[in-house]
Amino acid sequence: MRTRAALTSIFASVGVLIIGWQAGSAAMSTTQPSVTATSSGTSGGTTSTTTTTTATVASADGTYTGDDVNTRFGSVQVEITISSGQITDVTALQLTDADGRSRQISNRAAPILQSEVIAAQSSNVNNVSGATYTSDAYLQSLQSAIDKAGL
Amino acid sequence: MRGTFETMGTVASIVLPADGERVVASIRRIFDDADQRFSLYRVESELSRINAGELSLMSASDELRAAYALAMDWHLRTAGAFTPNRPDGAIDLNGVVKAMCISRAGEMLFSSGLGDWSVAVGGDILCAGHSPTGEWNTGIVDPFDRTALLCSLPLGAGRRAIATSGSAERGDHIWTLERDAAAEFVQVTVIAEDICIADALATAIMSGGREMLDLATDTWAIDALAVMTDGSLLATPGVRSRVTA
Amino acid sequence: MTAQLTARPRPTGPRSDRRRQYRRRARRSDLLVTALWASGAAAAALFLSVGGAGQFGTIADAITSLGIVTGLIGSDFILVMLVLAARVPFIDRTVGHDRAIAVHRQLGKPALYLLLAHGVLLLVGYGIASGFNLVTWVVDTWQLPDMPLAFIGLGLLVAVVVTSLVAVRRKFSYEGWHLVHLLSYVAVAFAIPHQLSNGAVLSQGPQRVYWIALYVLAFGSIIVYRFLEPLVASLRHGIRVDKVIEVAPGVVSIVLRGSHLEALGATGGQFFVWRFWAPGMWWHAHPISLSAAPTENYARITVRDLGTGSRAITTVAPGTRVWLEGPYGIFTDSARTAPKVAIIAAGIGITPARALLESSAIAPGEATVLLRASSENEQWLWQEVADLSVEKGAKYFEMVGRRSSRASTWMSAVDQERGVTLRSVFPDLLNSDLYICGPSAWIDLVEADARRAGMPAHQIHAERFDW
Repeated sequence: MRTRAALTSIFASVGVLIIGWQAGSAAMSTTQPSVTATSSGTSGGTTSTTTTTTATVASADGTYTGDDVNTRFGSVQVEITISSGQITDVTALQLTDADGRSRQISNRAAPILQSEVIAAQSSNVNNVSGATYTSDAYLQSLQSAIDKAGL
Repeated sequence: MRGTFETMGTVASIVLPADGERVVASIRRIFDDADQRFSLYRVESELSRINAGELSLMSASDELRAAYALAMDWHLRTAGAFTPNRPDGAIDLNGVVKAMCISRAGEMLFSSGLGDWSVAVGGDILCAGHSPTGEWNTGIVDPFDRTALLCSLPLGAGRRAIATSGSAERGDHIWTLERDAAAEFVQVTVIAEDICIADALATAIMSGGREMLDLATDTWAIDALAVMTDGSLLATPGVRSRVTA
Repeated sequence: MTAQLTARPRPTGPRSDRRRQYRRRARRSDLLVTALWASGAAAAALFLSVGGAGQFGTIADAITSLGIVTGLIGSDFILVMLVLAARVPFIDRTVGHDRAIAVHRQLGKPALYLLLAHGVLLLVGYGIASGFNLVTWVVDTWQLPDMPLAFIGLGLLVAVVVTSLVAVRRKFSYEGWHLVHLLSYVAVAFAIPHQLSNGAVLSQGPQRVYWIALYVLAFGSIIVYRFLEPLVASLRHGIRVDKVIEVAPGVVSIVLRGSHLEALGATGGQFFVWRFWAPGMWWHAHPISLSAAPTENYARITVRDLGTGSRAITTVAPGTRVWLEGPYGIFTDSARTAPKVAIIAAGIGITPARALLESSAIAPGEATVLLRASSENEQWLWQEVADLSVEKGAKYFEMVGRRSSRASTWMSAVDQERGVTLRSVFPDLLNSDLYICGPSAWIDLVEADARRAGMPAHQIHAERFDW
């Protein structure tokens, strides 16, 4: 093969591969920030507001969870909130004490007795949430009673 | 004012300020359009055609593929507890579509300049601002006596959405995972800032049981109330503080 | 007979024109080569453009990714092969159809290996994912859309390549081999559905568009240049056999008559692929060089019966309808790059050389011709060439006699002992374009000799008959 042909082929091929690679990196980075809403920090503290998008592609605003980072205090995972392009909140999600055990405040569901629950009246609520009712079943439902009462 | 209309096989109830009547029709359109596309009760809907094999997923509309992608995303995130595939292999996007429409209705309401409203569709509710009575008090139905409420709690900033899943009337989109011979829960209610998260997780926890409930509360900023088959209740700290004295 | 065939040679102008022409052709040739390799790179780049670079994290991922890339590049090579076999005029004018076919052949095995690797690697990748549970594994793969067809396509491709291996091809008749070779179209078509319905790379977006465009280009080239254009040309020019003249036992010249043949743009040295519509002959098309420059109404080919196909042609009856594909080949005046011309032909290879001599704009003293034959019985058309040489002011040599059985040479034994060399026959050899035509093995010897004498490759033009 002629030298010129060989050289142009090599350059063109490498060029094409680089373009493809760049396009791929760009495509990956726009879908990169996986939006996960996680519970935060200390007990009794406020949970950070997470504005999560419902579409499959994340927009710039939102809450992002970083990788586990090892610090001298242990392993830290940080959650940042971005709105209008600015970081508005940073929360440490998980702290490991020196022994390496993670101290995580639990938001788990625990048993609660019926007797502890304050009785509720349908006349005091604006809406009722239950398993989806059909249009026919709606008529007998509490929601329809509330709708009729016009609260 | 309150507007109600039938859609997606159930009934939507919208609470708006007095002058909000004008937007009810627009909200209805959002649901009707989605129903046209996704209803499995219409033979000519796009989703029915896909299930019948007349149309391939690859050549479906962008909206349908986005809904499917969202459902698959939830499928992954809930380790399979949430699934849009029925046991017979057909795709049922009823779960995500309803929530997507409620969410879209909310966006539309905000952009119409309305900041105090609630949108309730078949038991899923999203609200904003203040209710006519102050807070948006929402009751949770007792699964064993549908004329009574288990409890009621206020929805507000950070927890504007509530969704309940139950093995009751329209539980078609909940397929209990194989490993649970019998479902652990009779009803699951999830409260979150986002209605899609609340709806997907309520469905996932119903089919995934206790394990999924723990995963959900560990991973997402939600609160949950689950009713077990024997009537006993499980509640996250956030629910407990709101429903107890 | 030559009176009927007064040709109008096409002048190519002074030396600078030729250099420019050659440089242009060289640039086009470089462009084609670059396009070939760049298309392979583009196939790999398709994978990269969907984020493939990041898919090499685990062993299973890496194997699957490699499987995808080999499939893309292998398919690309197959498409390039189709384009090369399509006899695209641009390619023929630049490198000549025989060179295109040579490259086509060279790509065959690599393409097949890549596609086999594609299959194996992906199967292994799936296997790892399914924990090598054979049932899940087979079921998973088989159930993917359009996979059964794809497997069949690959099988057909294997058959095509295997039957094209020199060792195997010898066992087949040309027709039999060709029939199997045509299955390659089927193989390619069977692979298309699974490419478009599986995987992330080609599922949507510009990647999908590009891929489909490649297929359109490849099949389009075949349809247009192998079927449509020849069909239109054949119908338009309405060619029939006019006269069949016996030149010698077993060798005939066939004069063909048609209308507006100048529109074909053929020049001496080129060949057509002819199809004679006679019983037993119509289903096999033959590449045969013109043995004289074509005129508006007449073209001539000279055929030696060397096999069943060519023997049948020698018996064709006047009035037989003829279809043609072409003209092809760059064994022509326009391929000249140097001031002088050296022509050396052996046996029936004299045909394009004779036509070339007639068509070329050659000034007196520019050309030297050497004709080679093993015996006096093989001097077909030599008188015509001698006459043309006189007409063009070209030097004319004859070399008759068997070569020495001991040495491997293109020369006759006698002349070799006398010390004849290429340089002695063609003193201005290094300043000439050397046109060689004859049996393939003999051409190789001449070419080797010419290279040894210092001739650059671009000044050597060989017309091989056996592709």
